[in-house]
Amino acid sequence: MIALRTASLCKSFRVKRKMPGLSGSIRSLFRPEWEERTAVSDINLTVHAGETVAFLGPNGAGKSTTIKMLTGILHPTSGNAEVLGFTPWRDRTKLAYRIGTVFGQKSQLWYHLPPMDTFDLISRIYELKQSDYKARRKDLIERFELEPYLHTPVRKLSLGERMRCEIAASFLHRPQLLFLDEPTIGLDVLVKQRIRELIRELNRKEGTTVFLTSHDAGDVEELCTRAVVIHHGGILLDAKVEQLKRDILNRKTITLTLKPDSPSAIQARIAGTEIVSNEGRRMKLSVDLSQTDIDLVLSALVGKFRLEDVTVEDPPLEEIIKHIYGMRTGGAGPESGLEASRQAGAGAGGRRL
Amino acid sequence: MSMEAEESRISGKRVWIMLRFLFTIWKVNLASSLEYRISFLLMAGMMFINNLMWLFFWSLFFHRFPVINGWELNDIMMLWAVSAGGFGWANMLFGNFHRIPSLAATGQLDVYLTQPKPVLLHLLASRMSLTAIGDFAFGLAIYGWAGDHTIQGALLFTLGLVISGCIFMFLMIAAGSLAFFFGNAEGIVQQVFNSFVSLSTYPADIFRGAARVFLFTIVPAGYISYLPIGLLRDQNPGFIAGAAAVTIGMGVFSTIVFHVGLRRYASGNAIVMRG
Repeated sequence: MIALRTASLCKSFRVKRKMPGLSGSIRSLFRPEWEERTAVSDINLTVHAGETVAFLGPNGAGKSTTIKMLTGILHPTSGNAEVLGFTPWRDRTKLAYRIGTVFGQKSQLWYHLPPMDTFDLISRIYELKQSDYKARRKDLIERFELEPYLHTPVRKLSLGERMRCEIAASFLHRPQLLFLDEPTIGLDVLVKQRIRELIRELNRKEGTTVFLTSHDAGDVEELCTRAVVIHHGGILLDAKVEQLKRDILNRKTITLTLKPDSPSAIQARIAGTEIVSNEGRRMKLSVDLSQTDIDLVLSALVGKFRLEDVTVEDPPLEEIIKHIYGMRTGGAGPESGLEASRQAGAGAGGRRL
Repeated sequence: MSMEAEESRISGKRVWIMLRFLFTIWKVNLASSLEYRISFLLMAGMMFINNLMWLFFWSLFFHRFPVINGWELNDIMMLWAVSAGGFGWANMLFGNFHRIPSLAATGQLDVYLTQPKPVLLHLLASRMSLTAIGDFAFGLAIYGWAGDHTIQGALLFTLGLVISGCIFMFLMIAAGSLAFFFGNAEGIVQQVFNSFVSLSTYPADIFRGAARVFLFTIVPAGYISYLPIGLLRDQNPGFIAGAAAVTIGMGVFSTIVFHVGLRRYASGNAIVMRG
């Protein structure tokens, strides 16, 4: 069954162009200049029920605009979309009963009130039968471990606690399709992890289709089965996450802080790793996961060096996109081939250990 | 059950569902306002006193000139009761009616658009103004002091309150919806709002010529003194029907302007919290 389908979906905005400075402002007052800016261009996409799709791209790529069209917030400039059988901008109300939305930067919780009050309001908005609502609320409170925060005003919750309440609120009416726009933005590693687990669990147990935009490669790896990468408003890549992991997300960055009496990097070699930078006792390594495993590298590091601190990170999404872009343009340009792949893993520079 | 009866049962159920939703959102609004009890009492109380001061100055004026174009102090008091009371209930129950430009500019309509309730009704009811409670209480107090306490008088005063609140709301919705067409309209709509509020407390009959045309067109505050106060003074069924028809017309017009404008809504990326 198809959860959503788009055909040549486009959205452009009319944006005022202004020269810098006061003179520019005055000129724009009398002779305003407008330009048409394309936010989304020719998006063709089909998502099946039960899929978990990551919709990725750098800032300004058109991720949020696409989600806003798919949820009925924005009208497209041209093209079509069908979400659960409805045209979002025409059948907004009917569709809203069946979808859930979580916008990382826009809260549906009332700021001065405890989450419980918003939950009650949501039960009226979605016209839930009170016995069903109470049972569902109890279940979500247990799963999301919300009991300690339920009666605390939202303004006094941490970002992570608030986000868990936001996601629980969006699940109250059992949506068939959940749109998440940057749900892990600004959260620490542990909270991100917990939120990913919760979404994954609801997808598995209730078959909820998940359509998620993110800036974080971790969201894709741990939560989604399919990734769609957009850039400059158009689709750059549509692939299984497994394939993405094998071909593109095949690097991790390890940052080490060595103890003063530790041997230096030059004295040691670990297969499948490169030194990206080496400043004093601080060293950054890029690990090629197609050649080695991260646990092997970590054990080797522990054996060779005396460590004060260590962190393992995914490459930033911008670098991954540069890499995909490099692959798509046939290796031409500065981000071509192996160079781009290495950059995707660890940024500029580096030498093999 | 006949088709008509079934349809009427369904539409009755829809109305009940909508009312239950409104009661819940008002309850949530009130609870949110009561989070800051001192602020709540101070703001409501100060607005009551502020309105009272204006009436005090009018009383000094009418002491010197007892009748102006047929208006006496009692008429002015009822004008203030209807104007402040109408503004009060509209701003208490639908407190976002003059904030459409800022809500649209900062992308705050997203949350209403993703939930299955009428966007305009939902956004209007999502805010309760604290000072408006003082306005509403003031309107009732002045009616208690200077109004007609017969059943007919009370009904006409209630109708006057309903009409003046609706006029405030509908005109500001139409003006605020210009933001969808002209971009940043917050400044101009705020000016219209301020002019409208202050001019609605003057009797339209004291203005002549261009000023009177202005009061019934560009900033149509004249309707506040003309329609609700006309009701109280004339008590004529034809006038009542006309006043109700004009108000409903304004409601239909503003709702259409809002929904046509909503198609042009561009959202935004500002960080937004509710309540």
